[in-house]
Amino acid sequence: IRVHCGRGVFRGGGSQTSCDSFEFHRGEPSWDMKQLLAWIRVNLLKERPELFVQGDTVRPGILVLINDADWELMGELEYQLQDQDNVVFISTLHGG
Amino acid sequence: MCEVDEENSGCLQSRSVPGVCKMCVKCKENTAVLIIRVGDAFCRSCFKEYFVHKFRAMLGKNRVIFPGEKVLLTVSGGAASSSMLAQVQEGLGRDAPKKLRFIPAIIYIDEGGVCGQDPEEREETVAQLETIFRKTGFPYHIISLEQVFSLPSSVLEPVPGGARQPGGDYKAAVDQYIQQSKLKQKRGEASVEEAQDSLTHLNIYSPPSPEHTQTLQRLFSTLKTLTAKEDLLQTLRQHLILHTARTHGYSKVMMGDSCTRLAIKLLTNISLGRGASLAADTGFSDSRYGDVVVVRPMRDYSSKEITFYNRLFGVESVFTPSLDTKAPDKASIQRLTESFIIKLQADFPSTVSTIYRTSEKLHTASSPQNSSAEPSAKCLLCLCAADTKAEEASAFQATLLSERLSVGKAQSDPAHSNPASSNPASSNPAGSCCQEQGCGAGGCCSTSRIPAPTDLKTLLCYSCRLTIKDLITVEALPHYITSEAEKRQRRAQMKEEIGEFLLDEDEDAE
Amino acid sequence: MPVQCSSCGQNRAALKRPKTGHSLCRSCFFWAFEEEVHHTIVSGRLFSRGETVGIGASGGKDSTVLAHVLKVLNERYDYGLKLLLLSVDEGITGYRDDSLETVKRNQQQYDLPLKIVSYEELYGWTMDAIVKQVGLKNNCTFCGVFRRQALDRGAMMLNVDKICTGHNADDVAETVLMNVLRGDIARLRRCTAISTASDGEGAIPRCKPLKYAYEKEIVLYAYFKKLDYFSTECIYSPNAYRGHARTFLKDLEAVRPSAIMDVIHSGENLSVREGVKMPVQGTCSRCGYISSQALGLPKLGIGKHHRLHGKILAQQPLTQEEERKLKAVDF
Repeated sequence: IRVHCGRGVFRGGGSQTSCDSFEFHRGEPSWDMKQLLAWIRVNLLKERPELFVQGDTVRPGILVLINDADWELMGELEYQLQDQDNVVFISTLHGG
Repeated sequence: MCEVDEENSGCLQSRSVPGVCKMCVKCKENTAVLIIRVGDAFCRSCFKEYFVHKFRAMLGKNRVIFPGEKVLLTVSGGAASSSMLAQVQEGLGRDAPKKLRFIPAIIYIDEGGVCGQDPEEREETVAQLETIFRKTGFPYHIISLEQVFSLPSSVLEPVPGGARQPGGDYKAAVDQYIQQSKLKQKRGEASVEEAQDSLTHLNIYSPPSPEHTQTLQRLFSTLKTLTAKEDLLQTLRQHLILHTARTHGYSKVMMGDSCTRLAIKLLTNISLGRGASLAADTGFSDSRYGDVVVVRPMRDYSSKEITFYNRLFGVESVFTPSLDTKAPDKASIQRLTESFIIKLQADFPSTVSTIYRTSEKLHTASSPQNSSAEPSAKCLLCLCAADTKAEEASAFQATLLSERLSVGKAQSDPAHSNPASSNPASSNPAGSCCQEQGCGAGGCCSTSRIPAPTDLKTLLCYSCRLTIKDLITVEALPHYITSEAEKRQRRAQMKEEIGEFLLDEDEDAE
Repeated sequence: MPVQCSSCGQNRAALKRPKTGHSLCRSCFFWAFEEEVHHTIVSGRLFSRGETVGIGASGGKDSTVLAHVLKVLNERYDYGLKLLLLSVDEGITGYRDDSLETVKRNQQQYDLPLKIVSYEELYGWTMDAIVKQVGLKNNCTFCGVFRRQALDRGAMMLNVDKICTGHNADDVAETVLMNVLRGDIARLRRCTAISTASDGEGAIPRCKPLKYAYEKEIVLYAYFKKLDYFSTECIYSPNAYRGHARTFLKDLEAVRPSAIMDVIHSGENLSVREGVKMPVQGTCSRCGYISSQALGLPKLGIGKHHRLHGKILAQQPLTQEEERKLKAVDF
């Protein structure tokens, strides 16, 4: 399966961490969101991963959209990624 | 370890010793054993004096407890309430200067049934506590939480505020008490304390039946969140204490909330939407129940002071698990707030005292009214004044509107729906649902009349509504709550019917 | 497993509303969001017909959504308002200069007049220059005080009747928590008010039409509507204590999503004991602007850091030059 993830930038306390948009390919068994987050944490975040993940979920205040729908509607961490899924992370942090 | 003689009487005289940081700041003579606030190091005996004085000063300053009054001490077994019990004992002691003059009794609510204790563990805890209670010589009540299932609905009935007013009457009551006790002494009658010793222990603990425990556990399992469970437990506990106080004629209830606990409670209650009753929930005295007043004499002590006092002076406490004992930090709002404040306190040492001072500046909108005024609507559960008659521009109304707007447009507020311009001026062509006014989706207008949690809503304050929202079925609630709810609803319905009848008479003249 | 919209029952839901737990599709969400802001405006009597309303625009998500929704509602419900965008240039290189570009694009997109007032032009100091003088501690205090005044001055230049700002429910709830943590009883009482009274001479009434709108919904509204907004944090790192309050609030929201509204409800229903001293808002003896002190120099949060006070006072030639600009009669 192929999954596309949008670029995300996460800030806090004057520093930030980001992950560029990427695509990943995986055979069976497919991943759930929990595994995806863990993978992003290990492989993509350059510094201060706690600005993105806390525990095994995203930091409070970060919105997750799967195919442009709120992940809270999709089972959040348990959601099984499907082929052609598009995952976007949006930080709700202040912008002025 | 500090080996200072407790009876050291010279401790206040010598002031020549320069204040080394390891010396007590008060007597400047003995080695300090703890630092209370930033820089204030106290030795063992000065600390004791300070601690004991603070308790009497708190009661003396507030003048709420009358001499000869029956007072119920709520003891959970924890450090703060055990310390409170020790302070009352100390204050009632024969040679205590400024002796306390009220008549105490103890109440312990055994919550083991919902906090994961098995019957053996519960009996063991109770046995430990009874040993402590017996040593005090005070009468005690040990009540299991399961007894909520035999509470009468009268617990929830509003009671007009007591006729007693603090202040002016206090002096008179003190004088009267002194005269009476002088008389008694002349006649050689037993003093209050001795009379107490002869009192039987009023409520010997009888373990709850397994059926009751199961019913209780079922009630708590129908609550979807730990936040709601903790809130309901608090409410039920309060009802049991109130009922016991009323049936045995205790007009005051003492709670052992420390300064740290109250700071946590204040922030928790703000987060739970309990702002309206914040002053009653965290202040020195809470008169929402009318005839029984709750007081919090431990509110000036930090948990550090209490822990030290108990350790240094051998105050026993008993560990009892609570609902969130093993829960992670973010399991409930109460738990989250507690860990937040404790962590913040570690970084900013004035956090607790600052929050605590905020509570002193608040006051309840629903302060006890004169008996002439009609009692205002009270929340069925927490018995505080209802805070849901909010004006149009309020968070409460905004939430209600969001609820209406989210279940179908047919139910949207008629005052604001404008059929001519209902389409969003959006550029998004995807949505077609908004074009149809009466979108035929079911569920939006059909609410059946079977008792559902929503039916209780109108009788509850903002925050208790949130708790009941997390309850799957009201049927699990103890009978005294549902029957009082029905009673109130009938009364409200009757009022409405009379109103309708009068209106009908006006409209169609038949 | 797609969830259906709880409002229309036809479309696939696009979000779960934190306030109520309902699931809505995009268009029902847009409709509900806009109606709710409309209700806030009507029930709070925020505006009157014919008024000129300045929208404090920073280029961020909140003010961009505010500008968009106000324009939509002004047309839909015929408020009869004259809307314009009002921006403050604090003079922060790499932050405000970029976000102002967004505001300029918004001006085109929404066809609204735009006025930018700068710290440099008003006070002779950019934030970059202030930070050079006072360092990173307390700089936010200056910036906050300066911005408040700058918005007012910009508004006066354009004869604006009311200013509205993009403060959302999260901001209001966070401020309630902040004031509890700081023990600031006066602000605790004031901070939930939806609009500031117009009694103070020289201050233009302000209001927060997004007071009951969740940050989550604002972000999703902007995202789904593909609004053009600038998303970054100020380069001068934010107040640590406020950061704690924010983190706590977000954690609360994660435990119980309605908590943000619950905190606001609490704030709206607090009452302060009689006899508790409340600071009286005064007027600066020098410029006539509202002030908590006689001489309206920004009062610093935790004392000690009076360096800028000194700097402003000590540099007499510059200050006198500034004074001309600081006087309200200039407008």
